[in-house]
Amino acid sequence: MYAFIYQAIIAAFLSSFSLALFSPLVTLRQVSYMGEALSHIAFAGIALALLLELNLQLTTLIFVIIVALAISWLSQRHKLQESNTITIFLSVSMALGITLISLKKGYSFDLESYLFGNVLMVSQSEIYHLIVLALLNIFFITFFYKELFYLSYNAEMAKFYRVPVGLVNTLFMILLAANIVITLRAAGIILVSAQLILPAVTSFNLVKRLDHSIISSALIAILAASGGFALSWWLDLPTGANIVLLEFVFYLISMLFKPLIKGA
Amino acid sequence: MIEIRNLSYKINGNVILEDINLALAEGEFAALIGPNGAGKSTLIKLILGFLPLQTGSIHIDGIPHLEWLKRNSIGYLPQYEEFNRHFPATVRDIVLMGLVGELPLGSRFKTSHRQRAIQALTFTGIAHLAGHQIGSLSGGELQRMFLARALVSDNKYLILDEPEASLDQPGVKSLFALLKDLNKAGKTILTISHDLNILSEYCSFLICLNRKLHCHTSAELVSAEIIHKTFGDTVRLIEKDY
Repeated sequence: MYAFIYQAIIAAFLSSFSLALFSPLVTLRQVSYMGEALSHIAFAGIALALLLELNLQLTTLIFVIIVALAISWLSQRHKLQESNTITIFLSVSMALGITLISLKKGYSFDLESYLFGNVLMVSQSEIYHLIVLALLNIFFITFFYKELFYLSYNAEMAKFYRVPVGLVNTLFMILLAANIVITLRAAGIILVSAQLILPAVTSFNLVKRLDHSIISSALIAILAASGGFALSWWLDLPTGANIVLLEFVFYLISMLFKPLIKGA
Repeated sequence: MIEIRNLSYKINGNVILEDINLALAEGEFAALIGPNGAGKSTLIKLILGFLPLQTGSIHIDGIPHLEWLKRNSIGYLPQYEEFNRHFPATVRDIVLMGLVGELPLGSRFKTSHRQRAIQALTFTGIAHLAGHQIGSLSGGELQRMFLARALVSDNKYLILDEPEASLDQPGVKSLFALLKDLNKAGKTILTISHDLNILSEYCSFLICLNRKLHCHTSAELVSAEIIHKTFGDTVRLIEKDY
């Protein structure tokens, strides 16, 4: 019984932590809509894996990475507005997902746990995936910090000053896709994008540096995950939704402190 | 030396630059003048590799410019740089951007890099703002921050796109005096400007561009006739004192 609860707590912590590490970069690069789109695109990946009876997480991961890179490539190659390309892929992927699921006759699919997340459904192997993901995130952000900083500031000028923008951006997109797919079971398709934005916008009200913002986002997310899990345990409420609501409360509180800290 | 041969450039079928041939020798302080839409910024963006070549070639120190730019940097002060004013960066962070190409992938800035950033900021007169957030700077201070970034890596070439934007007249004069010092120290400078009086005072070489190159000669030799040819008949030359 307790092992089951510990597993769920660890899943909530790790998924919130991983998303929060990426949160300031996603927000500053103004690609938070990409996070939302990829979580919806994952739905088609899930449906494809179910229909073809393939490994669900791996198939979804590959599918989402391919679509993320396609969006990036199409936007640059054909000078399309990235938001337009994303909207096209988002809608088509949702339509594809619904069609594929309906083709799988007689299959009862627990869509709700994917839409809203359910930490109680996270398996032991998914916990290992979450641990590897968190370590990868820490390594990527620490190693490429300087490059990510300037890429987020202004990609064109970063390229001019010989930052390998193409390489870093591709790795960023792959890891963003991985974060969304691997945390999907715990965070949910609908709520994952909130966890990619709220910790960052809260931290930016409190600190003035990107590295401080990454650390404080992670702390805010862990605090929200603890509170969210406790609330769901005591009041029998959905964990993912509680975590997002608590992150929003922290954001509102940070707004009160912003004038004191930033003098604005 | 920056050498441009038979360069033409079109946007949506409209000719922006036509058969430009130009050689900018080392040690020059050159100014690029011309009316709005003459192709000045386009020419600079082509030299810097922001735009792909369509016809013609650009060589820097005898090497095709894109090859040269893979291993070297040109100090560049843009006319306008798009950035989020809430971006959590200090003035020093942005100046350090000028050194990022010197460091291997994944490595961190060292104390020596930070000292160079402070030296560049001291040179442009805003060292006291090194720790300030970029969003708190005025237009003139931002211009000096970007100039410090262009200077920090001690490149042999410096290209400026209307550096007088956001500066008042005494500010323009002190900026050009600063550029003259850099030029005397050996830097080759190419600047876009509209201020003919200040250019004739400080620059050694004037390039008159209006889609085609009208002249490239020493600043003292530019006559009213060439100015009219470049800018059109509507321009009126007046003497100006600071």
